Amino acid sequence: MATTQNLERTTSMQDAPVITEAKSPLAGVLRYAAIGLILLFLLLPLLTFLINAFAFRWFYPQFFPKELSLQAWDNIFAPNFKVGEALWNSTLIAVVVTWVSIIIGIPAARALGMYKFRYKRVVEFFILAPIIVPGISISLGLNINFIRWGLSGTIPGVMLVHLIPVMPYVVLTLSGVFANYNADFEDQARTLGAGPIATFRYVTFPAIFPGIMVASLFAFLVSWSQYILTFLIGGGQVITMPVLLFSTVPGGRNPNIAALSLVFIGPAILILILTSRFLSGKSAIGGFGQI
Amino acid sequence: MFKRKMLSALLIVVVMSLGFAGAIAAQDAGCVLEPGDDPNSCPPPGFESWDAVLEEARGQTVNWHMWGGSDLINNFVDNFYGPVLEEEFGITLNRVPLADTVDAVNQVLSEAEAGETENGAIDLIWINGENFNTLKQADLLYGPWSRSIPNSVFVDWDNPAVALDFGRPVDGMESPWGGAQLHFIYDSARMSEEDLPRSYAELTTWIENNPGRFTYIAPGPGAFQGTRFVKQALFEISGGQEQWVGPFNQELYDMWAPALWDLLNSWEPNLWREGETYPANRNELNELFANGEIDFTVTQSPAGATPDINAGLLPETARAFTFNDNMIGDRHYLAIPFNSPNKAAALVLANLVLRPELQAAKANPDNWGDGLAIDVTRITDPDERAAVEAALEDLGVGAAPAEDLANSLVSDIVAEYQALIEADWEANVLQN
Repeated sequence: MATTQNLERTTSMQDAPVITEAKSPLAGVLRYAAIGLILLFLLLPLLTFLINAFAFRWFYPQFFPKELSLQAWDNIFAPNFKVGEALWNSTLIAVVVTWVSIIIGIPAARALGMYKFRYKRVVEFFILAPIIVPGISISLGLNINFIRWGLSGTIPGVMLVHLIPVMPYVVLTLSGVFANYNADFEDQARTLGAGPIATFRYVTFPAIFPGIMVASLFAFLVSWSQYILTFLIGGGQVITMPVLLFSTVPGGRNPNIAALSLVFIGPAILILILTSRFLSGKSAIGGFGQI
Repeated sequence: MFKRKMLSALLIVVVMSLGFAGAIAAQDAGCVLEPGDDPNSCPPPGFESWDAVLEEARGQTVNWHMWGGSDLINNFVDNFYGPVLEEEFGITLNRVPLADTVDAVNQVLSEAEAGETENGAIDLIWINGENFNTLKQADLLYGPWSRSIPNSVFVDWDNPAVALDFGRPVDGMESPWGGAQLHFIYDSARMSEEDLPRSYAELTTWIENNPGRFTYIAPGPGAFQGTRFVKQALFEISGGQEQWVGPFNQELYDMWAPALWDLLNSWEPNLWREGETYPANRNELNELFANGEIDFTVTQSPAGATPDINAGLLPETARAFTFNDNMIGDRHYLAIPFNSPNKAAALVLANLVLRPELQAAKANPDNWGDGLAIDVTRITDPDERAAVEAALEDLGVGAAPAEDLANSLVSDIVAEYQALIEADWEANVLQN
């Protein structure tokens, strides 16, 4: 079963470029126009952020700001603005949450991706539930329990609560990888004398590694951009980048908001660039092509 | 000390039975420190003396939860209070920025529900109006303390604008930090002072003559300036604010509300976007004004447009002005939750902000441009008094004349009207 599926996907992949690389000049123009349009939509908002972050008293009808200023950057990097603390907390939380979610996610995803069992759909539903149920509806009740357990207002508490929205993404991504995974290779390794650890290290891990990278990227970004759960469980004592951003926006000082937003999306974009080579459809599906 | 407490309690009973204090002294405001008293004679609840407060506060961290949307204010707090707390009192200041004060209120409510009675996350909240009322009604505030701290002698507690928060008695459960008064801003490059409307009646004519050039903030939760703007119109068409003071009066409201909605609806065809939509908050209104789409915005600062000009939010030609009457002014306050683990440090901070030199620094539009919580005439030290008076005179070009603000000042009315006006405005004006 799994092998045929794998085969189908691979062939459809090979077909795809043939269609887009048709020799018609019109198709080429359309293709570049589409790419250009996508880039425009993605980059134009960032450009206004960039201009805003250096503008001062930029009002209509000035097309470009008459006065430029570094005031916003001075403001947000003043020690009391807590950008350093927020960046550190956000990074620490996102990295730990990513690691923990992958460690918990691998066995769960393997079970969901490779085995059929009773009530599998129910389990899948519960794993998806955090995406369907809005976080705010459970986090208020959760907060009361976290206060009782002494986790409220602490970084471990925030990490724990971040796992709620992160886990569905990790398990879903990884179970897709395991759906195309052939456990026979593990048996082969065992037959050749490898222990469980060596099997995982030399067979399982390399096969699912691209999937792990994609799942980690999701986990990192979902944790990185989490506001409401951080705020409720952190009780305002755990300052992360989204918490800082949300408290800055109501002030209405566009240059500060723009500068802070750039600082906020910077690390996310950096990580996206570093992991982008794992993001193509082929590697995200996983498999044994690279062994 | 016990005698004094008995005496003040007795006094309040007598005063109340005379029906004199009315709404103001609805409850015991706690021990009241009078000018010239020994600060140790009137300690806040749970402490032996003010010296004991200072001693316990040393080494504590005060977690101050406050709306964090203005970096002018954030910087002021960090730079003017932080170092003094550290050096003079051995207290660490932890300012926690909030998107909305109601977040802090919910935190205290959650903690209370969870039975957390000693180690709450919050030591001090910047608060007023409904948020204060919620916590006070739920009995989740520490106190009464605000008339026992040494610098409370600078506060004019006989002034209803201080003793009443949105028309409800403070009862010693919060201490003032500053003041504000709603008034307007225009652009002197676009129009001259003589052409400014000075009442809602004149504004009505102005709107007719300048279609599309006016709008106001939609009244609603978190947009109290919009509610205030509408409330002021209600005062004017009903013949003055005095009759609205005191407990909630449904009959009075029902008598005048239809005329208010008629007036606001009559503006709509000539409002910005024909009144189909209204700005949600002051930032949106400011932005429309700064970009030349409309001709007026509002301010709460006695320094008028100056702080916003300095911050680059408004053009340099922006100036503040008032109507002749009914400009609502009030105070904003600091409160301590019942389960604050660092009450001593919170008390020291609440006391520190009332120090005259720091009130003067706060009034400076370069620092913040906030109104005073204290009464200048109560400052006994001549140098301190001079410093505060100088600060009040130096509010920058963007400020409205101080006498205009004083002459048009009225206090706010009980919070019941607030919710009613917000709901009815939506039903009768927005959806009409």
